[in-house]
Amino acid sequence: MKNILHLIRKDFKRKWRNPVVLLGFLLIPVVFTFIFGLVFGSSEEVILPKVQVLVADKDTSIFSQFLLTALSQGELKKFMKIEVVEEEQGRKLLDKGKASALLIIPENFGDDAWEGRRAELLLLKNPSEQFLPQIAEEIVDTATLLFSALFSVFSDEITVLQNVISKGELTDLDIADLSIQVKNRMEGVGKFVFPPVISLKQQTVSEKEEEKTSSLSVQGYILPAIAIMFLLFICNIVFEDMLREKEKGTLLRMSVSPMKLSEFIWSKTLTSALIGMLCTFVLIAIGRIIFSIYWGNIFLLLLIIICLNIMLAGFIAFIYSFIHTERQAGAVLSSVILVMSMLGGSMMPVENFPPFIQKISQLTLNYWGLRAFHKAIQRDPFSDFIPILVGMLGAGIFFSFIGSYFMKKNLRKGLLK
Amino acid sequence: MLRIEHLSKTFDTIKAVDDITLEVQKGEIFGLLGPNGAGKTTAISMIAGLLKPDSGKIVVDSMDLESNLRNIKKIIGVVPQDMAFYEELSAKENLLFWGKLQGVKGKILGARIDSYLKVTGLLGRERDLLKKYSGGMKRRINLIIGLIHQPKLLLLDEPTIGIDIQTRLNIYSLIKEASSQGTTVLYTTHNLQEAEELCHRIAIMDHGKILAVGTLEELIQIVGEKDIIIVKGKFSMDQGRDITALFKDASVLSLKEGKIMLSLEASKKMPLLLEEFFKQGIGIDDVAIKQPNLESVFLKLTGRELRE
Repeated sequence: MKNILHLIRKDFKRKWRNPVVLLGFLLIPVVFTFIFGLVFGSSEEVILPKVQVLVADKDTSIFSQFLLTALSQGELKKFMKIEVVEEEQGRKLLDKGKASALLIIPENFGDDAWEGRRAELLLLKNPSEQFLPQIAEEIVDTATLLFSALFSVFSDEITVLQNVISKGELTDLDIADLSIQVKNRMEGVGKFVFPPVISLKQQTVSEKEEEKTSSLSVQGYILPAIAIMFLLFICNIVFEDMLREKEKGTLLRMSVSPMKLSEFIWSKTLTSALIGMLCTFVLIAIGRIIFSIYWGNIFLLLLIIICLNIMLAGFIAFIYSFIHTERQAGAVLSSVILVMSMLGGSMMPVENFPPFIQKISQLTLNYWGLRAFHKAIQRDPFSDFIPILVGMLGAGIFFSFIGSYFMKKNLRKGLLK
Repeated sequence: MLRIEHLSKTFDTIKAVDDITLEVQKGEIFGLLGPNGAGKTTAISMIAGLLKPDSGKIVVDSMDLESNLRNIKKIIGVVPQDMAFYEELSAKENLLFWGKLQGVKGKILGARIDSYLKVTGLLGRERDLLKKYSGGMKRRINLIIGLIHQPKLLLLDEPTIGIDIQTRLNIYSLIKEASSQGTTVLYTTHNLQEAEELCHRIAIMDHGKILAVGTLEELIQIVGEKDIIIVKGKFSMDQGRDITALFKDASVLSLKEGKIMLSLEASKKMPLLLEEFFKQGIGIDDVAIKQPNLESVFLKLTGRELRE
């Protein structure tokens, strides 16, 4: 044990003297999280593209004008851009992908609505876009619903107005009569509308309130996901160094000292786990300070960090027990880490995979590490963590022992050039 | 101090070490001289416990290596050909690390480090990172690491490759100093001059076998008291063979087209030899007379020069 501590101290000193690679691997998850946060985050400064909607108004009645005005006013104006076009021109523009949707207001739309007949609007969506046409559809759908409701509530008044207009002349008495009817109707529905029974209050959630919630933010998902992938790369650096020691002759020299080869291997595994733990602490602190991620119970978090890094270091030790040269390590480890990260949710949510791949995902280290972090953020009960923590620790110890056994044989073979 | 009996090691079909037997006394500097591939490093690796012999026995300080490997490792020091240390650490940090790994601690270790740095002229540079050191300075540190725990047996595998004469002499004096304090040194080299200058006894190795063992004087006896005569000129191998056949007491060390090396009493036979060349109308470019040395011994034993 004394030799192991002595070797670990030496490796830490060496890493401290040359921290560039480690810092690089620490920086990447932070940069990734920052970029993903910008793209998918809830910051007010995020500028979303406007939904370009073409409108072919073949009706040109007061109702179609009213609909057009409604779509291009108020809040809608912020994220919808309405452009009135001829139908043919609109279709061509849509084919060229110049707009997200084309709304066609058919002829007699106003008359049909006026006379209580079924009036239909036609919305053509751009097939090459995924989200923006969906937004346009939702907005137009809501607008038509409101129009429908308006016609239903004021159907009597509309009929009166229709009769009055059909007579061709509008007397003061007609106007007074219509005004009284509208007033009575408004008074009837007024108690439901003024003030509204249901209202939406907008508020930006403050930091303290966020702590009380248990939802997973974009950053809360991304940072641990990318971090686990890069922790694997960090473990890899330590074991790469082991091959360099073999190549350079320092391992040979140590082998002629009273130190046991197994002590050397365990020192590398523990150095790898300890450096991984330190890096995780740094990333977690950055996550808290820069991205306001609330990581949950600190004691639990500590357990996750320890178990996770033992698992990662053990796994890399296991892989290295079959590797003889740095070139082999570069090829094998990069492939293993990237594939495992892809399947394990470090690059995209596992829930997006087909069910059979989701089962494979559960065999990856990233999956379990990520689950532990997400559960911590979501403040799940401690009992949920026990199997994950035990699993990670068990896997780490298992891999470490198997790795140590095979690596000893592997290193002995390659000690003499 | 070191006894090797019938030691053999084969890699696939190549016999790297072929039944070698030798004994090295306490405080002796023993040279293993041979060309690359002679089996020197394989032999030294088996003595260091890095390689298991196929057969034979190694005894270090009265302990059988096979059954006492851990104890023997405590009294062995190794200086490999490579610069086996950490360039990201300073000289002092390296020496502290290797010293502690060998079980030396505290003030004793500190005093030894200072003493070795002083002897090697590196005191004052001990806090510099080794990557900033010159090649010669690195070689000195490489040697100090092997000596820091004052081993009973020091194994040196060609420790002076590619260094200047000043560093070489510094290293020699360190080795001689260690030897005078009782450390047994096993020194592999393919440098004849180095072996002559440094070693008390030398074993000449080739193709895994020990061809001869002895002091420099004893080895030279193999070639005899005669001088070494080297003649260079325009002659074929057959012509050279015909001429040397005329001198029954000469022993041919090397014969090539245009060059002949033979052991002969120069003062008496030299004029006759040259006369034979002139008689046959052979033009002579150069004639040299040398005292017998390790090179001539090696030539005599192996039939080739060491650098071939």
